[in-house]
Parts: sequence; structure tokens; C-alpha cells
Amino acid sequence: METSKLVARSLSVIAMVWLLTACGGGSDSITPVANPPPDPQPLEPTAAEIASASRFSAQATFGLPYERILEVARMGNEAWLDSQLALPITRHTPITLGLVERRLAGEFESIEENQDLLVNFRRYSWWHNSITAPDEVRQRVALALSEILVVSDKVDLLLLRPLALSTYYDTLLEGATGNYRDLLEDIALHPSMGFYLSHVNNAKTDPLNNTFPDENFAREVMQLFAIGLFELNNDGTQKLLADGGPIPTYSGVDIREFAKIFTGLSWGGDNAFFGNTDPNFVNPMVMFDDFHEPGEKHLLNGVVVPDGQTGTADVRSAIDNLFNHPNVGPFLGRQLIQRLVTSNPSSGYIDRVAQAFNDNGTGVRGDMKAVIRAILLDAEAKTPSTTATAGKLREPLVRNVALLRQLNPTSADGLFFNGGYFTETLTQQHVLSATSVFNFFLPDHIPTGPLADAGLFAPEMQITNSTTIVGVTNLIDIAVNGEVATDVSSPFSRLELDLTEFEGLASNPDDLIERLDVLFTFGEMEDATKVVIRNIISGLDDMELRAKTAIYITLISPDYAVRI
Amino acid sequence: MTKTHLNRRKFLSHSCAVGLTGTAGVTVGSSLLQLGLSRSVAAQGASGPDDYRALVCILLAGGNDSFNMLLPNDADQYSEYAALRSDLALPQANLLPLNGSTVNGRNYAVHPGMPEVQSLYANGELAMIANVGTLIEPVDAAAIEAGARIPLGLASHADQIAQWQTAQPDTRTAQGWGGRIADLISNQNLDNGISMSISLAGTNLFQAGLNTVEYSISPDEDGAQGIIGYNDGSDFETFRRATIDNMLGVTHTNLLRREYAERMRRSIESQLVFTAALENTPTNLSAFSANPFSNALRQIARTIEARGELGACRQTFFVLAGGWDHHDDVINNQARMLPAISRGLNEFRTALTGLEVFDKVTTFTCSDFGRTLTSNGKGSDHGWGGHHMVMGGAVNGGQIYGDYPLLSSSSPLDIGRGVYIPTTSIDSYFAELALWLGVAPSDLSSVLPNVSRFYSPSSTTPPLGFLLG
Repeated sequence: METSKLVARSLSVIAMVWLLTACGGGSDSITPVANPPPDPQPLEPTAAEIASASRFSAQATFGLPYERILEVARMGNEAWLDSQLALPITRHTPITLGLVERRLAGEFESIEENQDLLVNFRRYSWWHNSITAPDEVRQRVALALSEILVVSDKVDLLLLRPLALSTYYDTLLEGATGNYRDLLEDIALHPSMGFYLSHVNNAKTDPLNNTFPDENFAREVMQLFAIGLFELNNDGTQKLLADGGPIPTYSGVDIREFAKIFTGLSWGGDNAFFGNTDPNFVNPMVMFDDFHEPGEKHLLNGVVVPDGQTGTADVRSAIDNLFNHPNVGPFLGRQLIQRLVTSNPSSGYIDRVAQAFNDNGTGVRGDMKAVIRAILLDAEAKTPSTTATAGKLREPLVRNVALLRQLNPTSADGLFFNGGYFTETLTQQHVLSATSVFNFFLPDHIPTGPLADAGLFAPEMQITNSTTIVGVTNLIDIAVNGEVATDVSSPFSRLELDLTEFEGLASNPDDLIERLDVLFTFGEMEDATKVVIRNIISGLDDMELRAKTAIYITLISPDYAVRI
Repeated sequence: MTKTHLNRRKFLSHSCAVGLTGTAGVTVGSSLLQLGLSRSVAAQGASGPDDYRALVCILLAGGNDSFNMLLPNDADQYSEYAALRSDLALPQANLLPLNGSTVNGRNYAVHPGMPEVQSLYANGELAMIANVGTLIEPVDAAAIEAGARIPLGLASHADQIAQWQTAQPDTRTAQGWGGRIADLISNQNLDNGISMSISLAGTNLFQAGLNTVEYSISPDEDGAQGIIGYNDGSDFETFRRATIDNMLGVTHTNLLRREYAERMRRSIESQLVFTAALENTPTNLSAFSANPFSNALRQIARTIEARGELGACRQTFFVLAGGWDHHDDVINNQARMLPAISRGLNEFRTALTGLEVFDKVTTFTCSDFGRTLTSNGKGSDHGWGGHHMVMGGAVNGGQIYGDYPLLSSSSPLDIGRGVYIPTTSIDSYFAELALWLGVAPSDLSSVLPNVSRFYSPSSTTPPLGFLLG
């Protein structure tokens, strides 16, 4: 395959670069690491405040460079978050559409002899906005939502139509700071979801031909997007029957009732008709009542949709029914906490976030801004935990974006495009590219061994195996030491990392290490790791090589891989 | 230090023996390259280098519509089939009959895209297991109506795909039955850090045990990718290796960090051993097609070819062939996907025969569930019981095991929309495979906790009979 060849070629180039530049190992001396001197400016944040702002920004965004972390520290987390949440949405579709139009005009013909750029456009938009968009919190939350409300380009049509996933991602961006009720309806009617979970052109029961409504979306909207399998308390724990067993939220009969709801939808746009085989990924799906299941539908918790409603009204009733289920707050809240903050939130933390979902303080249910504030400003997110069971493994994709954002990226043409194929090949993860609707990993994944013994969930460990752990290590090597940070070819510029900041600190290894510790591990790097880095880089004379080596070790270390 | 430091004689001197003492735990903090070299090789009770057996689990993720893979071929049952399936029915004229097969005197056929499976079946090298699925206890529709226990999350992908791997439909657990086998018998393998569980699809439940973590290899090239610069024999290597080894020598109190460090260390160590073993094994494999499924099977055959160098006596392999959730366009999708499975199986058979190990490797399929017999107008929805294939020289093939249900709109097995209650439990299916691999009958219940509800481990007859002793 083209991609793996490209990766292999880059690997050998990097090995060559290393052969030419590497020096010997470090000294054996172990020196205690000095604390940075207290800042003389009373208004400037303290080291502890900077570390705290660094932790917060790693939870709230894809990571900020040092100067921006100082900004957060000066403003305070809450004020900074509110300024973020007030920013307008930076959408992906305009970039994708612009590229599609340039391609139509023939601009990319010469480079397309060897590759099909069309499948890259939505990836280019995603990387560009994830690296540069001002609404950094929204962009990060949208990725978290994309791992709950999953569609994927592993389905050919969604790969080949660049607008399919850009318009879907924009829907997530709107929902990220909108209301979850609207987001649920918007994804239910989004053509990419309609295609991915097959309710586009889903027809009513046909007794003559013995066919029945498709149950696919009906099941997953309940199981994965709204309420989950079992009745929950507001703190995320399961409600239990007298015999100690969990209480299912729905039955097979319920799924068949909801399947009736999601009949009659087809592609939107001009000249729409039911059964249309010409996809439209710009407009929401539209309802054709002649193909919508007639009659009453029995929803959850005793709600009955009356006979004679339009299909659109049926869909709205069903979305209302799911949205108002008491499970949504703890079900969604726990997963968003896991994506943004920690793998094993306390029941109290889930309860507080679910309460914010249930009521934003002015009586509104499902206000995502309130949910985000509750997640990111909670004491459990802010306080560094000293328990051995705390923390969260960083997702490989987020490690990749963070690296590009935090190491002062530049680009000659101002575009930060990336095909992301290095990332995907080496780590098995890329945005909206999961192998199934169950995402890359499950929220309840429990790795065997010590983590299972301690009763810990660690979702991201599900894609951390002997192949991918080497892959992510090499991905970092390629970007930092090999200076191949993105895979994109002319006419677009490749992203360059500007390491001047770190080279300037490198003459004193401790200064460099302290900066990396604050920037990437919020002061939680093990002292022994610092000693290892210090010993290795002290033996290097070249400041650039010192900086690169220290950054490389930091970013591949368990200290960084796991955020605590 | 290079790969030549790997002591070849020690690998070759390992013999497969049952019941060795000692565990496969690996010491943290040793020089990585020396692990797997300095271990003493226990060789008492040798039963010969040819004492090798492996199970290959093919997971058809998403829920294969297997009522269109194995079909009734008598006029009366075919017409019931056609009536139930409506637009999903395959024309009878296109079906590939299974020669001589009879269950209750009836005839069956396979999907038109599976001629290789048809011949493997005719050669007695492949068996079918009919209407097998997850069960907590034997049930029929009346028992379910009366409140009998049925699997948690029936027809949910996440639950059912997990339960096929854990064989515990009554609970959610992090261990699979392949991993539990490895916990019991992996001490027969050389203690070189290479897991008895080898995955072509990353982390999976099937191969996870209490003390067993899978070793993931890639279907491409040499399988095990190393950290750039760690082991390339250059001057740079010393520097890079010191960097990584020292970093991984740091002790972490945080459990997630400790786990990450352990996985990284184990990955590096296994890659060195695995790559050396493959390099020391000349290859003589027959050809495979270039597609992900065949690539994975080729890599398994290659690993089996190197079993002597790897010191492997018992192994499980895990392959995932996904994309079977055909709510839409099931006819065209299966016509595209089932031939790749059929061809891949046949290529694997040819390669294993060339290595003279076809009778030592048993390959079997799993899937989330069967699907609704009735259509949603485009495809089929989530079901329960489904049909599966087992291939190998040790398979008593050319037969269908278990009861292929009589299809009917009023079947007592139908719980709605043509979702059929399984007539054979996965416990019975897997018990036969586990016993063949070498699990002692007295240990069967620790591998398959619910097995005694379906099969007595002390029985003198096999659970289903599809494997020769």
C-alpha cells in the first residue's frame, strides 16, 4: 500500500538522520532537579498556577503552547473557559468545499496522477481546524462527541464523499455548545448517520413481501447515543433489581417500536423522493409520509405516539422521549468525563455533571455549555490526584494533535493540512475512522492484569497493543526527530515545528526539563524520568539535538502517555 | 548487541511437554535483549518437536447473515426459506450443494460464492456447526416466556461479540476463553516472553486471561514493528537503546503509567525475539491473495512455520474480518465478502498442508449473532443463532453438527422476525475445541464456566464430535 510504503521510507530517512547526528550516551551522575526560582512579578502566575492551567488546557483543548498556558493562568480557568464558549463556531465544511471547488477547476490534476486527493479533503479540514481554530474547546469536545455519536469513513461512501464527514462534524460542533436534544435530532436526520446506520430509505412494514422496518438506528440511538442498556442512578451507578441484577432500559419489542419511527426518511435536496439512490450529504434527510409506518408507536416509560402524526412529528416525539430519559445525563456525562478528564470518575463527579445536564441552573435540560463547564471546572478535574488509580491514557490521535499544537507549528502557506495516514497506519486511530459504531474503544474496557485487579476502566488501553505502542512511539520520532510532522504534498505546505523555545533553554538541561514537565505533564513527571532525560541530554553538545531528544523522551514516556 | 546474540540452540532445544512447572511471568527491569535468552529451558518429559497444536479464531464481526451462508436445499425447506427471506432469498439454482450431507435426511448447500468451502467440505476437511449461539441454559420459546435466563444484551453487538469471546453470557468479564486456556497451558511453550495468544487484530477479549495478554502482530511484512533505531546494529542503536531502556526502568506508582510502561517493554522484548525467530526460519509458504483477510492468514502460517524457533507448542491466533452488519444490501455485500473468506480458508489449508501441520491447526469461525430471517426490505437485523465453520486436518468434516432448524413461519424457535433460539450452545462448540487443544477435562469448567449446563466434562463422548481425538 502507498501509505505503508511512505511510512517505511520516512522511517529509513529518519534512521539516516539519526546516524549522522547522534552522539554518545549521557553521564551517570544523578543530580536533584532544582525548583524554578519564585517569580518576582506579583501579578504573574505562580509555578503551581501555571501547572494547573496546563492541566486544565490539556483537558479542555488539544493542548496549548507555553505562552498560551500563561494566558490561561493569568485569566483563570473559568473566565478563560467562558470566553472560549462565547466564540463563534469554526466550521469544517467551508474548507472542504473550497478544496472540492479547486479540484473541480482542475487545480490538482497533476498531483492526482498518483493519489486521490478527494478522500483527503475532510481530513485536511479537520487537522487545520483542530490545530488553528480559535474555538479550541468546542473543537476538542466535538472530537469527544465523534467518539460517542460514531460514523466512520470505513464505509466507502462516507470516505469518497468529502462533504459527508465535514458536514457531520459541523453538526457535532454545533451540538458541542448547543443543546443535546437538538444534537440528537440533528444526527438522527443527518445523511451520514442515515447511511451509516441504514435508516435512509428505511420503509414501513410490507406484509405482502414480509419485510419489516430496519432496527439498526433504533437500537443504537438508545444503546449508544442516549440511554445505554441499563437503568442508571444520577451518579452513573446501576439501579438494581431485588435479586441484584441490572434493569434493562428497553426490550426487543421497544426496538421494533422505535424502528417504526425511523421509517420514511430519504436523501434531502432538490427532487427528493423515497428510494432515491443518489446521496445528498449537505441537506438533512427528509420524511416521506407515504413510506412512514402508520399507527400508534409505544415509546419508553409508557409514552404512546398517537396514530395519524406525521413522520417528522413521530421522530420528534421519539427524540423527546429518549432525551427526557433520566439516564441521559449520567450516561453521556460519564463518557464525556472519560474523553476529556479521567477514565474512572467518582460517582460524585458523574452526579454533578449529570445534574448540570438535567438543569443548567435556569431550568434548561441538555445545555451542553453547562455540561462542559461542570466537567472542566469540577474539583476532581482540577486537583492532581495522588492515588495510584487516577488518570487517563491519552488517545494516540490527541497525542498527535497536541504535539503539533504545543511545539509551535508553522506553515509556509498558513494551511495546516494533514492526510493523517501516518497517524492512522501507526496508531489505528483517526477521526471518524473507527471500524464500527462502537468506536475505537469501549467506555467499559477493563485491561486484564493489575488494572482489572484494581477494578479500573481504561478505554484507550483497548488500542494500546504491541503494534500500536511502537507505532505511536515512532510517529513521535518521525515528527520530532525526523521533521516529518504531517503527510501532505505540494501544493500544500508541510507543517514545521519551531523548537527555538526549547533550544534556548537547553544550555541548562534542568530548565529544559522543567519546561517540558510543565507543558506536557503539569509537574507530574517522575523525578526518576527527569534524571534519565538529564543524563542523556547532558552528553549532547548540540542544543537542537538536546531539545529534540528531551522532547522525544518526554512525549514517548509513560509519564506523558498517562495524564494524571 | 544484535540479533545474533539470540541463542538459537536454546530455542531448538526446547521440547513441547505437558505439565511443566513454572509460569511465564517476565521480570521487569532486566536488560531487554537478554530476556528470553538467559532463561533455563525446561525440557523434561519431552514429547517431541511435532507435538504442536493451534486454534485459529476467525471473528466475523458485525453478525454474519449465516442463514445465507448455509441453506436448506430440499424443495420443501427451500420454499419455506424463500418465503421467510423474501427479497433476501438466494435463488436455489445458484446454491452450491454440500455433497452427501444429510441432517435428519435433509440436504443443504452453501452460498454461491464459496466453492472452496464446498470442496473442503466434500474432502472431509471442513465441518459446519448449525444454529449455534450464546445461551445461559438450554431454553425454548416457552421457557423464555416463563422467565428463563437469556444472555445479557441479547442482539446488542457489544455484548454478543464479547460473549462469543468470553463464553460467559451471564456476566461481563475481561477474560476470554482463549486467554483462560493460555493461563492453564502456556507453560508448555518456551518462556521467551512471546504470548501463547497471538493476535492479528490487536487487543481482544478472546485471548485475554488472568495472566495472559495477547501479542499483537501486524499482517504486513514481518509482523513485528520495532522502535526506530532500537535494534539496527548502528552506533546510534546504543544511544537509542539506552534512552528507551533507562526510561522504561523508571518505577511508576500510578497504575496506568505502570501498565503503559509494561506494555511498551513487553512489546520491545517480544519484537526482538519474534523477529529473530522469523529471520532464522527459511520460508516456504504457498501463495495467498493480497487482501487483509488472506494477509492475516499468511502471517499466521508464517508464525506457525517458525514455531520451532519460537519454542511454541500450543498457540491461539485471532483474526478479525469485520463489516458483516448488513442491515442494508446484504445480498451484494455477502457476494463480495464471503468469497474472500472461502478463498482465504483454502489458501490457509494449502499453506498448512505444505508445512505438514494441517492436522495440528484447527480454524473456526465466530460472529456476534445470526440475523433475522425476515427482511427489513434492504437487509437483515440482529438475530441470535447462526451457522459456523470449522476447518482442519483433525476435523471430522463433511458433516453438519448440531440441529439445523426446520424453517417455518411458525417455528417454535422463532422469538420474532425469524430470530431463532440457538439449538447448540457456544459452550459445546468451544468445549470440543478446548479439549482438542489440550485442556484437561477436569479443567474445562475453568475455561468455560457454564459448560456443565450443556456438557459433562467427565463424559466419555465428545461435546459435538467434529474433531478427531
